[in-house]
Amino acid sequence: MGAMFTDLANFITGGSGVNILYFMVVLPAVLAVLTVIIPRDSFIARSICFLAAALADLILAIALFIDKEGSMLLSWTDFEINLAFRVDDFSSAIVLALAIFAVLVGIYSVSFLRKKEKYGQFYCYYLLTLAMANGAVLADNLVVLLFFWEGLMVTLFGMLVIGDRQKPATAMKALVLNGIADLLLMLGVAATAAQAGTFMMAGVSQLPIEGLGILGFVCMMAGAVGKAGSMPFHSWIPDAAEVAPLPFMAILPAAFEKILGIYLLVRITFDFYQMVPGSVMSIVVMAIGAITIVLAVCMALIQKDIKRLLSYHAISQVGYMILGIGTALPVGIIGGLFHMINHVMYKCCLFLTAGSVEKQTGTTDLRKISGLGKLMPITTVCFLVAAFSISGVPPFNGFFSKELVFDAAWESGMVFYIAAVLGAFLTAASFLKLGHAAYFGPLHLPEGVKAEDVKEAPGAMLLPMGILALGCLVFGLFNRLPLSVIQPIIGEGYDFSGWPHSITLVAISCVVLLLAVGNHIFGYRRTGEGLKAVDHIHYAPVLRSIYNCAEKRYFDPYDIIMVLIKGFAWVCFGIDRAINWVYDVLMVNFIGGLSSGMRLLNNGSVDRYMVWSFVGIGFIALLCLFFV
Amino acid sequence: MEGQGLLLACILTPLAGAFLLPLFGKIHAGMRNILSLLFVLTAFLCSAMLLNSALADEPVSVYWQLPLGLSIGFLADGLAVFMAVTSSLVASIIVFYSFGYIEQYKNQNEYYMMVTLFIGAMMGLVFSTNLICIYMFWEISAICCWRLIGFYREEPVVRRANKAFMVTVGGALLMLVGFIAIYGETGTFDLLQMQGETIANWAMVLILFGILSKSATLPLHTWLPDAGVAPSPVTSLLHAAVLVKIGVYVFARLFLVNFQLDAIWETVVPWIAAVSALVSAGAALVENDIKRIIAYSTISQLAFILLGLSTGTMIGVAGGLLYILMHSLAKGGLFLCAGIVEHSTHTKDIRQMGGLAKCLPVTAVAFLLCAFSVMGIPPFGGFFAKFMVIDSALVGGSAWLAGTYIFGAVLTVIYLLRLFVKVFLGETTHKDLKEGSWEMVSSVAILGVLSLLGGIFINIPTQLTSFIVENLGRW
Repeated sequence: MGAMFTDLANFITGGSGVNILYFMVVLPAVLAVLTVIIPRDSFIARSICFLAAALADLILAIALFIDKEGSMLLSWTDFEINLAFRVDDFSSAIVLALAIFAVLVGIYSVSFLRKKEKYGQFYCYYLLTLAMANGAVLADNLVVLLFFWEGLMVTLFGMLVIGDRQKPATAMKALVLNGIADLLLMLGVAATAAQAGTFMMAGVSQLPIEGLGILGFVCMMAGAVGKAGSMPFHSWIPDAAEVAPLPFMAILPAAFEKILGIYLLVRITFDFYQMVPGSVMSIVVMAIGAITIVLAVCMALIQKDIKRLLSYHAISQVGYMILGIGTALPVGIIGGLFHMINHVMYKCCLFLTAGSVEKQTGTTDLRKISGLGKLMPITTVCFLVAAFSISGVPPFNGFFSKELVFDAAWESGMVFYIAAVLGAFLTAASFLKLGHAAYFGPLHLPEGVKAEDVKEAPGAMLLPMGILALGCLVFGLFNRLPLSVIQPIIGEGYDFSGWPHSITLVAISCVVLLLAVGNHIFGYRRTGEGLKAVDHIHYAPVLRSIYNCAEKRYFDPYDIIMVLIKGFAWVCFGIDRAINWVYDVLMVNFIGGLSSGMRLLNNGSVDRYMVWSFVGIGFIALLCLFFV
Repeated sequence: MEGQGLLLACILTPLAGAFLLPLFGKIHAGMRNILSLLFVLTAFLCSAMLLNSALADEPVSVYWQLPLGLSIGFLADGLAVFMAVTSSLVASIIVFYSFGYIEQYKNQNEYYMMVTLFIGAMMGLVFSTNLICIYMFWEISAICCWRLIGFYREEPVVRRANKAFMVTVGGALLMLVGFIAIYGETGTFDLLQMQGETIANWAMVLILFGILSKSATLPLHTWLPDAGVAPSPVTSLLHAAVLVKIGVYVFARLFLVNFQLDAIWETVVPWIAAVSALVSAGAALVENDIKRIIAYSTISQLAFILLGLSTGTMIGVAGGLLYILMHSLAKGGLFLCAGIVEHSTHTKDIRQMGGLAKCLPVTAVAFLLCAFSVMGIPPFGGFFAKFMVIDSALVGGSAWLAGTYIFGAVLTVIYLLRLFVKVFLGETTHKDLKEGSWEMVSSVAILGVLSLLGGIFINIPTQLTSFIVENLGRW
């Protein structure tokens, strides 16, 4: 008992083995609880607590990033399930990235959520998300990784529920899809640990992908790409865009989930397991990436709502990262990671611009708004920078990372390269449409909103946007800066900074961009509206019916899974009812029948009893004769 | 001697005290309620105090030799104390909850008597080292559960109580034949004297019938959802604290601590449980009665417990035991929440509910916390238990087995989420609902918080479970 309480005390205070890594997790979590304890009316106190937590996390993360080493271990349960954390080059960079985005989106959230209900809960979930994301990245034990990873589901559910309690379907969808991915991860962790013989990550290194390893690799990968929002675990994201508070979209699907998913994918493919270029697994991963790129961007192209459009791009872009990492080539992995960080910057920025528009006009429906450029110039500039980045226009950051992925795809198989280039074309086309429709063209506002009321967003919202937009430019022009952090992760002696090496590929990319512009002009001339610039693709003969089905959600993996599971459930229910029938009907009738049969024999008639007696005596006599 | 006093107090206080309750009830209802809680709390405190000696590997024991080679023996080893603490803790909370719930009904004297007796029987059962004692306490619990399920006395209710009684007693009689078979082989009913013996497969089959009928595993399970007609604290008691845990406890007591089993059972039992897990989870997804859904969920989760206990791996047994604890806390909470919902909406049909989170905020949050724990989502207690059990399925069984259970876990997430979303979110169907009484609300809040703390401070229960596992002497 004594030891129990010592352990407990150690656990709460941190005890002897505690260091900065512990506080990366505990501090945001504790402050998260504090934000909801502080009385509801004191918006300022809550917000200060919230921002202080994010800032403290940033300071700790910077300290870790400078140190780049350290580990800690607290005993948790047996079977080597220890609360173990460790930091290295890779995880320190990831934690820093998480912290930076947490602060930027945090500042934005405070401004965005002012005067909104349930902002306190949002703060709480936000900080808990940060704590658990830190824990997942720093974990040095597979079960601890799983613990924090799955724990993110709770805050995800919470944030979606506070978005709209009346329509909980999206929260359920998100939790089911994430739950499937995370339970697969659980199986993967078990299989990987069985293969390695330990839960401690130090012992899980460069396992061959064979036997249980195949199960471990595939299931862990499913967990990783599921978190990143790749197909087929993606379909909750566009739905969430409609109900969840906007900062949620910027921080989770656009930033944290990408960072975490790609972090784990890289860990699995090059640390835990040994994925070889050209192997079956490599092709599987690349195929997931390529399919995700193309299908999601096709859906993005036809969206009429800014948030939905952006969320489809958030899915599509993750395909590039998965494709790059799936090639298992150094250029691909570095490209994938670089693209991840770039994506988080420009996608975060894009969501924040959408938030500004929503805050000012009350909607993000492109059919109701256009020509906001003059009213919201800074937002427009930020949007343009981020849109150039995502479309891969040189010299913005997206261009450089995409080129690296193109390079790797080109070497790994023409079909993957074509998918990537097709994705780039459609991405550019859809952003031309979005930018044109929302910010240019004639001014058009929803009913009841006057042009005088639509102002530029407040400073606290502009600041994060501006920083992110600036970052897009800096990471493009001075790409040596991020790459010098990313390259050492996979080994010494790689240098992909500076201008892309392959002139052919750059030329192809530029041609593709020009084609996209040409396509836009063609579409615009045809319809006379920016919003309808891609209608000739949307309503092309075969595509029209496919799009029609997609819009009706015939292809939504969630709906398909739910139909299958409902079918399964009805079969189970039938089996259960059949068993119950045996108890409630068959047995009752059988016993009832038996007893009424017996009753017929015993009807109280003396004659009949006499007959029975004689028959019985005769029977016994026969038996005696027979045996004696 | 002091330890023996504790042990006897732990068993006899609720067992004997139960019969005093109706007398006190005649005098003063409040006193009866408090006394009932006190008796159950005594069991909890005594068993908690027995922890020390159990963890020091000096288990307290009481033993009387009777004629004909019979004996009465109680032993407070790690496993027994773990189970006793778990069920008396949850039972105490449930009794406390009953103060608010049962207030308005008739036959309260009998209610408190039966509930206390039920817990006394549980205490007796977990500490018994004698097969006949185990059987007797087993049947006392069956009688209590028969009276309690039939608490409302209406015709269909009584019929279902009869069903529960007959299925569990039928299983128990088969088990008794199994016990007698063991007696035939060993010449004793005393478990301590037959430690490490191998028992015949047919005796194992008979005993398994008893265990599976009590622990409501396919195909002996349908009485459990039907038992949902009982008052909610009773269902909670059946599902969380006492009844269905008796089966898995006896499984652990006999087949982990005492007997050696044929290796075939390490495959057969997990697969029987797997089928049970999937079928009941599927049924839970179709049902529309809040209590039946949670009941099917119990059947499904019991399969996970059985899986952990039967794969023959250390991590599996530890996981199975943790699962018993975490499931007790969480499932107890879910039923008590269902009771509050039922009391305020006067229906059990989830199609007629929606948006209750607005009127019943504490209940909604407690329900969600408990549901997350049952789903096995961290940082809730169910996570570690579920992970360990799944890991044992992979290590001790096969990838197919583990995959089947992962599918079962996915179904768990879906049906519990569907339940929560339908009842507590969405369009508001009822206006001006009242939260339950303060006893009820604080009970569910305690269980919800315990489910959360159980995960974060998993190191505390694990001290005991790992001690138990290491002392099984199998590895």
